[in-house]
Amino acid sequence: MRDTPLSNCERDFLLKAIQEKKRLDGRQTYDYRSIKISFGTDYGCCFVDLGKTRIMAQVSCELITPKENRPNEGLIFFNIELSPMASPAFEMGRQSELLVKLNRQLERCLRNSKCIDTESLCVVSGEKVWQIRVDVHLLNHDGNLMDAASIAAIAALCHFRRPDVGIQGEEVTVYSTEERDPIPLSIYHMPICVSFAFFQQGLLKDQAVPLEIVGICPSRDGGIMLLKDQVLRCSKIASVKVSEITELINKALENDKKARKTGGKFGFAESLPQERITALKTNVSPVEMSDVKEKANEIVQRAEVPPQTVPSPVLTAPGTGQVGEGLENSWGLKEEEEEEDETVELKMELEEGMRRRGEVTWWSSQTVTARRMMLSS
Amino acid sequence: MAADMRLPTIRKQVSLSSSLSALDGKDLVVPGDVITSDTGFMRGHGTYMDEEKLTASVAGEVERVNKLICVRPLKTRFNGEVGDVVVGRVTEVQQKRWKVDTNSRLDSVLLLSSVNLPGGELRRRSAEDELTMRDYLQEGDLISAEVQSVFSDGALSLHTRSLKYGKLGQGVLVQLSPSLIKRQKTHFHNLPCGASIILGNNGFVWLYPTPGHQDEEAGGYYTSLEPVSLSDREVISRLRNCLLALGAHKVLLYDTSVLYCYESSLPHQIKDILKPEVMEEIVMMTRQKLVELEG
Repeated sequence: MRDTPLSNCERDFLLKAIQEKKRLDGRQTYDYRSIKISFGTDYGCCFVDLGKTRIMAQVSCELITPKENRPNEGLIFFNIELSPMASPAFEMGRQSELLVKLNRQLERCLRNSKCIDTESLCVVSGEKVWQIRVDVHLLNHDGNLMDAASIAAIAALCHFRRPDVGIQGEEVTVYSTEERDPIPLSIYHMPICVSFAFFQQGLLKDQAVPLEIVGICPSRDGGIMLLKDQVLRCSKIASVKVSEITELINKALENDKKARKTGGKFGFAESLPQERITALKTNVSPVEMSDVKEKANEIVQRAEVPPQTVPSPVLTAPGTGQVGEGLENSWGLKEEEEEEDETVELKMELEEGMRRRGEVTWWSSQTVTARRMMLSS
Repeated sequence: MAADMRLPTIRKQVSLSSSLSALDGKDLVVPGDVITSDTGFMRGHGTYMDEEKLTASVAGEVERVNKLICVRPLKTRFNGEVGDVVVGRVTEVQQKRWKVDTNSRLDSVLLLSSVNLPGGELRRRSAEDELTMRDYLQEGDLISAEVQSVFSDGALSLHTRSLKYGKLGQGVLVQLSPSLIKRQKTHFHNLPCGASIILGNNGFVWLYPTPGHQDEEAGGYYTSLEPVSLSDREVISRLRNCLLALGAHKVLLYDTSVLYCYESSLPHQIKDILKPEVMEEIVMMTRQKLVELEG
C-alpha cells in the first residue's frame, strides 16, 4: 500500500519552515530525537527507540567451515527485515529498493570498517570458525531507519556473548552457558551511521517520515551538487553526534551489566511496564530556564496594565477547562465582545465545579502556572 | 482568547436503536462472526470458510443474493464504478497518461486522450502534446474527473471530457470515508450559503468559492488566482468543520445534510465546531432536521 501523497500546501509549508530553520516538532536543525536503548534477556538482543522508530537487533552464532581464501577468519552476516508491522508501505517478501540500500549500507558500515576482530572468531584454522549473524527487525517506521539500524546492530554486537570453546588436540568442545561463562566479542570501535538530508534551502538531521518524502538523498542517481565545505561541516557535526551516541550505548551496556550482576530484573519484559499507559504521556523535555526571571520582569515592566481577566481555570464541562479567558489576543484579529453577565455565570460555575470535583490542589497549581503564563505573554 | 485543556474521556456508546432506523433489517458482522453453518451457500467477498462454517473476514453488513453471501465492509478503500465522480491528486506523469491517487487500492489512470485540450474537442493528439503534458497537470495537482471504465485489476480509468471537470483551483479538500458519500444524480452543488462543493464518490470533498461569471472557453485548465474574500473563506472554513463533524458521527453526506449542518452550526464560532461536545450537538440537530424532512 503506498503512502498517501503530500499536498502541495504541505510540501511548501515544510520547505519554507526548513528555510527558516524551523522543524515540525520543534527540534533544532541538528538535533536527534530521543534515543532509548534497552537490552533483552538473551545476550545479543537489543532494542533501540529513535523517537517513534523502533528497531530490534538479535545476534546469534554458529560454527561453520570458513572461506577457502580466508581460513582463519570468522564470518559476519547481516540481515535487515522490513515487515508490514512497521509500516503499511512495506510488503512481506518483496525486495524493495529501500531494503537493498539499507542492507548494503549496514554491511559497508560494520564489515568494511573492520570493527570486529574476525581472527578471534577462529576456532580451528581451515575447519571451524564462528559465523556471527546479526538480524535486524524493524518494528515501527517513523523515519531515519539507517541510523537506528546501525545503533541497534553495534549495541547488540557489544552486548553479545559467544559460548566458550576448548581445544584438546584434535577435539573441540563447545561449552554451554552453564558450564563456562560466555565470552564477549572483541570489538575495536563503534561505527555509527549519521544521515543528513539536503534540501535546496538547508540541511537537516534525523528526519521523520514526511521530510524523507520531500528531501533529496545525495546517493540517488538524480543527485544534487554538494559543496566541499558542506561536506566538511557534515562530517564535523557527525563526529560530535557519534561521540554522544557512543557514550549512550556504553552507559546502557553498563546498566545492563550491573543489573545482571546484582541479580536485578533485566530484559525486555521489564521495560514494558513503563510503556503500558504512556499513550497519553509525553516525555519530560528540558526547558531553558536560566534567564526566565529577568526576561519576565522586563516584560512586566514594559507591559501595560493587564486586562480584566476571568479567574482561571474555568470549567466549562466536566473534563474540560479554559485558561486565560479575557486576555488580549495578539493575532491581530477582531474578537467578539464578551458580555457582562457571562463573567458572573462563569464564576458561579467555577465554584460549583470545584466543590463537585474536590480536586482543589490540582486546580490551584494550574492557576499559579496560568498566572505565570499571563505575566510572560 | 483562552487556551483549552481537555482530559481524555471514554467515547460514548452510540445506541443503534435511536439512530439510523434504516439499519434494522441489515446484519452487521465483525471479523470472526459466523454468518451461517449452512453449506448450501456460495461464499463471496469478505468471507471465508472456517471448519465448514461461513465466517466474516471484514466488519460490515451481510448481503445475500440468492445463493451468494458476501460481506460489504463499512470502512474500505474506494471501489469505483463507471460514472462515479472522483476528486483525485496527480501522483505521476507518465507517457501519454497521468496516475491519479483516488483513495482506492490502485492508482487511477487518466489517459491523455481522455482530457480536454485547448483547441477544441476533436483535436488530434500530437507528439508535442506528450511532451507538454506537464504544463497541463503536474504532480500534486488536484483534479475532478469521472470514471470512464474499470480495468480488469480494479484500477479506474478516468476522463475529464466535460467542462465541469478538470484541474481544481483555490479551495479546501476534506478527506472522508467513501462509504459516507450518498450516490446522487449530481455531485456538484452550489450551496446557498455562498460556497460550492464537489462530493467525490471516493470520499474526497472539495469546497471552493462559487465562481462568478467567467468566460466558458477557458474551462478545465484555467485556475483563477484572484484573492478570495474573507466572507467566502469563513463560509468555506465553517463548511469544512461541519463536514468533519458529520464524518466523525458517520452521517450520510449529501447536499441537504451538509446544508442543514451548516445552518445548525451558525450559533457557534467556527473554531468551536471542532470540540466534541459542540460536534455532537450540531449533528443531533442535523439528524432531527433530516428526520423531519423525511416524515
